Amino acid sequence: MQLRLLLATLAAACTLGLPFSAAAQVADLAPRTTFFVEPSKSSKLLVINPSAELSVTPTDWLEVHTGYEADIVSGATESLKGGRLSPVDIVSSATHFKDTRHQVSGGVGVTRDNTKLSATYTYGTEADYHSNAFSVQSGTTFLQKNTELTLAYGRGFDRVCTTAFADSDGASVKTPLDSSKGCFTKAADRASRKVDLDNFQAGWTQTWTPVFASQLVLYGGLQHGFLENPYRAVVIAPAGDEALENHPDNRLRMAVAARAKYYLRPLRMAVSAGARLYRDTWDIFGQTYELEAERYVWPELRVMVHGRYYTQTEALFWSDDYTGGEPQDGPRGQYWTGDRELSPLSSYLLGGRFIFKKNAEPTKRIAHVMLSFETSLSFDLMKTSLKEFTWGGSKPDDTLALIGSLGVRGTF
Amino acid sequence: MLQLVFVLLLLALGGCVTVRPEQRAVLADPTMQFDNDPGDGAARDHVLENREGSTGGSSVKGGGCGCN
Repeated sequence: MQLRLLLATLAAACTLGLPFSAAAQVADLAPRTTFFVEPSKSSKLLVINPSAELSVTPTDWLEVHTGYEADIVSGATESLKGGRLSPVDIVSSATHFKDTRHQVSGGVGVTRDNTKLSATYTYGTEADYHSNAFSVQSGTTFLQKNTELTLAYGRGFDRVCTTAFADSDGASVKTPLDSSKGCFTKAADRASRKVDLDNFQAGWTQTWTPVFASQLVLYGGLQHGFLENPYRAVVIAPAGDEALENHPDNRLRMAVAARAKYYLRPLRMAVSAGARLYRDTWDIFGQTYELEAERYVWPELRVMVHGRYYTQTEALFWSDDYTGGEPQDGPRGQYWTGDRELSPLSSYLLGGRFIFKKNAEPTKRIAHVMLSFETSLSFDLMKTSLKEFTWGGSKPDDTLALIGSLGVRGTF
Repeated sequence: MLQLVFVLLLLALGGCVTVRPEQRAVLADPTMQFDNDPGDGAARDHVLENREGSTGGSSVKGGGCGCN
């Protein structure tokens, strides 16, 4: 009881900065660590993402939540992009780097009958990027809880560090950062530029029969500002001239996703299928298809396996090599990129997850404090096929990725 | 306009469906919930968004509730 009260008070005080006198009914603590690794000889990348979320429900209608996460990134990156015709040794110029992003968030949720409203503020910081974001979400159920509608909106006010070029400078003379040293200080050779983000999402979940449910999600996002990688230069002339990446300042992104779940009684297994179509104003068209199956192997342990296929077309201004004499007023003459995520690609993902959940028996608690305890362990393998992207004519070898995640959740 | 009519039609169709609370045992099970491990899903989405040109449309919570 004392621990529950302590967690409740801590969460409320941390999130609101105010004393909170009501006794907590439930506190939910969920730490997790995720890793992402691309085992490559030339540009091995490792990302470790520890996180923790705490939510407290002091009364039936109020929920207070707070969270922290970090991205600890290390590896090597090619800071210069050239294609098949580029006269530079790009792979051997890869530089090692290490960076950490910290992110904290806090918010409140209010529930009334079948409707919930919540608001969250998030602040993120790293050596070369600062972000402030708020989001609001609402959801309601009706038709005897067979229908659920959700609406969400998020607004981000970000700033990214760049070299101190003037906006009026020609794109071909802008230079990339060589390091994050001096970022967000008064250093004369550094500047920060805005990135504005708006995201809308609407969801409709419907139960149709006692064993069948579906979901439709609509998404729209608008990005405005400096959308390039400030470290990456691109070879833009046959003589080897290079310049900072140059992307359009605006990007409107839209997606529609549909998924369905069905319970196979003979197998005592839930199966799910989903598809997502994506389109943006940079002319990328993406398709995602997913299959998933989950069942209990013990009353407390369930296992999920899933597969995912993704494919996308290239951005309108994408080229593996910009030295071939594109018209200056054409999309590849005005803009240039070294971003492989803007190239045509496809990927396969296969993985699985174990979840163990134990609920306390009535009038008892697990380890004297918990109403329930849950742990999940997941593992995914992703293979990407880059159809055109090269590093100076060489196919990248960092196209295999491993994703693992271990999380626990305790309800107090 | 056609899309709006389509959505309204689907919603109206949804109104014809009644799964009663006592029929929700399966729907209320975590295996039948969309986004039934949000921490794991968010971590995977975070990775994928940094490796693909697409974003958005992730699963949202929901999928039936036995809480009447």
